[in-house]
Amino acid sequence: MSVARIEVDGLSKVLGGVTVVNNVSFQVDPGQIMGLIGPNGAGKTTMFNLISGVLRPDAGKLRVNGRDVTGLPPYRLARHGIVRSFQLSRELDRLSVLDNVLLAAPSHPGETLGGALFRPFAVRRAETELTRTAREMLALVSLTPHESKPAGALSGGQKKLLELARALMAGADTILLDEIAAGVAPHLVEEIIAIVQKLNRDLGKTFLIIEHNVGFIRALTSRVVVMAAGELLAEGSFDHVSRNPAVIESYLGQAA
Amino acid sequence: MDAYLVAILTTAAIYVILALALNMQFGLTGLMNFGVVGFYGLGAYSSGIMTETLGQPIVMGMLAAMIVGGTAGALVSLLSIRLSGDFLAIVTLGFAETMRLAFNNEDWLTRGPRGFLIMTRPVLEGLGRDATAWFILGVFLLVAAVVFVVFNRLAGSPFGRVLRSIREDDLVPATLGKNVLAYRLKAFVLGSSVMALAGSLYAHYVQTVTPDNFTTQVAVLVWMSLIVGGAGNMKGAVLGALVVTAIYEGTRFLAPLMEFLTPTQVSALRFIIIGTLLIVVVRFRPEGLLPERIVARPAARDPAPG
Amino acid sequence: MQLILNAIASAAVLAPAAIGFTLIFTLFRYTNFAAGALMTAGAFAAWQMNDLGLPIWLGGICAVAFASGLLMLSDRVVFEPLRGRSGGTLLLVSIALSVIIDNVIRFAYGTQIRAFDLPLRPPLTYAGLRFTPETLSVIGISVVATLAVGALLAFTRLGRALRAVADNPSLSSIRGLPVPRIEAAGILLAGALFGLSGTLAGLDLAIEPNLSWALTIPVIAAAIVGGLGSPLGAALGAVIIGLAEELTVAFISAPYKGAVGFVVIALVLLLRPQGLLGRAVERK
Repeated sequence: MSVARIEVDGLSKVLGGVTVVNNVSFQVDPGQIMGLIGPNGAGKTTMFNLISGVLRPDAGKLRVNGRDVTGLPPYRLARHGIVRSFQLSRELDRLSVLDNVLLAAPSHPGETLGGALFRPFAVRRAETELTRTAREMLALVSLTPHESKPAGALSGGQKKLLELARALMAGADTILLDEIAAGVAPHLVEEIIAIVQKLNRDLGKTFLIIEHNVGFIRALTSRVVVMAAGELLAEGSFDHVSRNPAVIESYLGQAA
Repeated sequence: MDAYLVAILTTAAIYVILALALNMQFGLTGLMNFGVVGFYGLGAYSSGIMTETLGQPIVMGMLAAMIVGGTAGALVSLLSIRLSGDFLAIVTLGFAETMRLAFNNEDWLTRGPRGFLIMTRPVLEGLGRDATAWFILGVFLLVAAVVFVVFNRLAGSPFGRVLRSIREDDLVPATLGKNVLAYRLKAFVLGSSVMALAGSLYAHYVQTVTPDNFTTQVAVLVWMSLIVGGAGNMKGAVLGALVVTAIYEGTRFLAPLMEFLTPTQVSALRFIIIGTLLIVVVRFRPEGLLPERIVARPAARDPAPG
Repeated sequence: MQLILNAIASAAVLAPAAIGFTLIFTLFRYTNFAAGALMTAGAFAAWQMNDLGLPIWLGGICAVAFASGLLMLSDRVVFEPLRGRSGGTLLLVSIALSVIIDNVIRFAYGTQIRAFDLPLRPPLTYAGLRFTPETLSVIGISVVATLAVGALLAFTRLGRALRAVADNPSLSSIRGLPVPRIEAAGILLAGALFGLSGTLAGLDLAIEPNLSWALTIPVIAAAIVGGLGSPLGAALGAVIIGLAEELTVAFISAPYKGAVGFVVIALVLLLRPQGLLGRAVERK
């Protein structure tokens, strides 16, 4: 049995006096596309923040590829092979769209001080190569015509696509997507589904996806985890949990 | 007239170096360093002590300045690099002010308000007065050119891209694997050591250094250079420094025109003009004369369409 | 004990301005570096009136009015058009404003030190402590003013409105509060406090253009230590800063007094950014 990509073990987090995540445990296996669903305020994005190191858990452990990474800062977790997108897309507004994606390239020799000053040829070679890759990413998400624009000039949906391109460029094994389909035009949502499936099938990438779009979840995920009010409510295939009375209750209670 | 021009250009060169350094810290990385004169002064005094008290050649002085400036920058960074924007500004301002008080007080080292006399100059022996002035200008322009080339290259490199991304949002680069604190530290130290270098040049040029040479008003002039010229753009920093020096020195010409004013008043008037200009630029053209260019750099454009 | 008395005297000068500073911060979310310059402007206004023959208390009132108006003018001309910008930009602009005001004062009055036209009275002694009658007035006025402002903010409608707007301007606006007028009231109040502190500084210290430099940092330090957003905290912070300064003079060395404020600011921001009584206020 292979080691889980992500293992969340009894994680808890208190924010502003409120227990936002309460003793949640689950794991994401290699090659899985897992959904994280639940009503608003369930603690899903907080969970993402905990997994990516943006927040430190108050209790519990986090393991990535079997190694204990609890409490590590985001840049260290990133080096363990995790990348994430942001629900409220955080663009580097005054950088070009292309630069936004190039930033995600791991281990660029030009990013160190020494490299930038003393290895011009290696840097130029890497930059040309990576620019080609970055352009492929942009083409995947149909953002090619906007490549030279400042990222701040993109529309909401386009920013989401840029988040995806950036996450893909990072080349991480495990990709966390936070409502990547929100605000994106329907035909592009189809494309995103196809991209995720392709990456999963051909490259074995693991995905953990927060999404409210039911069609998206059903099409992509083999397994979902349901959170509500900070707790883990249910786990299983989407069809299975959508019949779970407690799950229905939590959504209805929210809609009411 | 000629000699005066040389003097203005020499001063301009120093401000160019200072503006380039501040640009590395603020323009690229978003670090609001108001402690410019602290590092500037440290460089001046370190260099002076190295050449006068310890009898070393001037190059050692310049080196000492950079090392002291860089180390001080590292310490200030480590203490305050987690602070954001305006609070970092206040703390760095405090650093500069504390330095000024130290320069004043520790006069066993710095000769305090009496002034530190520096005989060593960055020239070859035996040149006449005019030739000396031109030679010094040449040295300063050379240093400024080197700093410009190095910093401009860094700004356009992937390293610069990471700095800019940190300026925009410090969470995204972190989640992409960049050690944000380390980058901020490096940017800050690069800036502070160059500011100290400028101080060293200044000290050996004016030959008498007192703590009052390192006041906040000088910092305001450097900031102004950056804001007017265009933060984020190294060429902008150069242009801004030239413009501000021109305005500052140019307003000296007011004095004979306004003989009814005392020297204090003329000096006050010059700063009123500078302050007002800063506010006007921030209000109406915050990106400065040469705004930062956003398009991807030429090196990255490959010939075959993607 | 003498040390404590000196500290309280310093604190009395700083406290009203610290409250004013924290008011501006909570209403508009930026650090207004021109606080010291406004205090100095107030001090000079009071002095000018005194020089023209008015008694000091009347000069003080003029100072309060003048500083209040000056801050309002500054806000309308300089800060309001820049409301949407980052805190750093506003700080930079406030530093520029501080330079302008300082130099206008220098232009008008030169650099010589002036003092109020007071009869020279010998220092009093009581229970082994030495102090001047001026010190007593300074402390007394400051305490009264601080309590008055505190009461205003805590108990009156205006006070509640100010706190509401400071907390959430859009919500307050939707609820029907006249936000621009409340903000204006806040500005006038803060300006008045700066003017008052300036007059007190004139009584306790001296009146010269360099005053603004010496006062800005302790005022900001007091507000930060006490916790930005809490007027009571600002007053407490003033006492702490006063103590820190006196301790520095006593145990380290007098010239470094000016650095103490910065050291305190750095410590607080690093260890406990919300200060003593502040809430974690979001900044731009």
